[in-house]
Amino acid sequence: MRVQPPRPKNEDERILPLINVVFLLLIFFILTGKLTAIDPIEVTPPRSASEGVIDVQELVVVIGANGDLAFDGELISQASLPHAVAERLGGDRAAQVWLKADSGADSVQVIAVMEILHEAGVERLKLLTAPVMLNGTG
Amino acid sequence: MSGPNLPSPLLSRPARRRPLISLTPLIDVVFILLIFFMLASSFLDWRAIDLDAPVQAAAAAAATEGALLLEITPNGLLLAAEPLPLDDLAIRLGERFAVESEQRVLIKPSAGVPLQRTVDVLDRLQAIGVTDLSLIRDGGG
Repeated sequence: MRVQPPRPKNEDERILPLINVVFLLLIFFILTGKLTAIDPIEVTPPRSASEGVIDVQELVVVIGANGDLAFDGELISQASLPHAVAERLGGDRAAQVWLKADSGADSVQVIAVMEILHEAGVERLKLLTAPVMLNGTG
Repeated sequence: MSGPNLPSPLLSRPARRRPLISLTPLIDVVFILLIFFMLASSFLDWRAIDLDAPVQAAAAAAATEGALLLEITPNGLLLAAEPLPLDDLAIRLGERFAVESEQRVLIKPSAGVPLQRTVDVLDRLQAIGVTDLSLIRDGGG
């Protein structure tokens, strides 16, 4: 006598395992991923051993690998950056500003942007980095 | 041709009813949600380095007194104009900063040095225990 596997009763029940897996994947992505606004410039952050977990990211100045600048989600020229930053800060010198620079960006330009930000009244500035990968460039 | 094959609600076993809500649209929606979350979420684990405001070009002359100048050139590091391999940095500076951690260090990357190298040097210096770090640049525009 052969034991017959239980036959699915109808079409829908045959794909139930698929739905289970898809639901699990969905929940995994919802819980582990973090929804963030997409920057106008694609940036590979520099790897660093620095610590400090970042949750809130407002007032981000992005520097692309080829020197493009973006502030508040919009491309901007270096000449108009001080005005835009000063306007956005509105005299709030304690505001935290983030610098998100590409790991291949020119250091001198990054420092120039830091100076511009300082002149625009930014006192708290942090450079965003990513942790070193296990096989990465230590 | 109405024969005995015709299902009769009274005599035969009632036909299996279709579920009220089919699963297929549900799966469609779940798939779309899945793809949305896969594409829209980022898994990058952000960290941050505290940046002091860089020494102003005008004030640089006063601020550089007694400070160590560490230049980053495309060919390597220069500590007080002497070439120094990156790995020797901890050896050369480690003892010194164990004694006086107040020593100011100025880091001056040359044009064309990618940010990653500067961040590497910053990491090394912070690992040694240097607290007073400043990034400067030539000229000052």
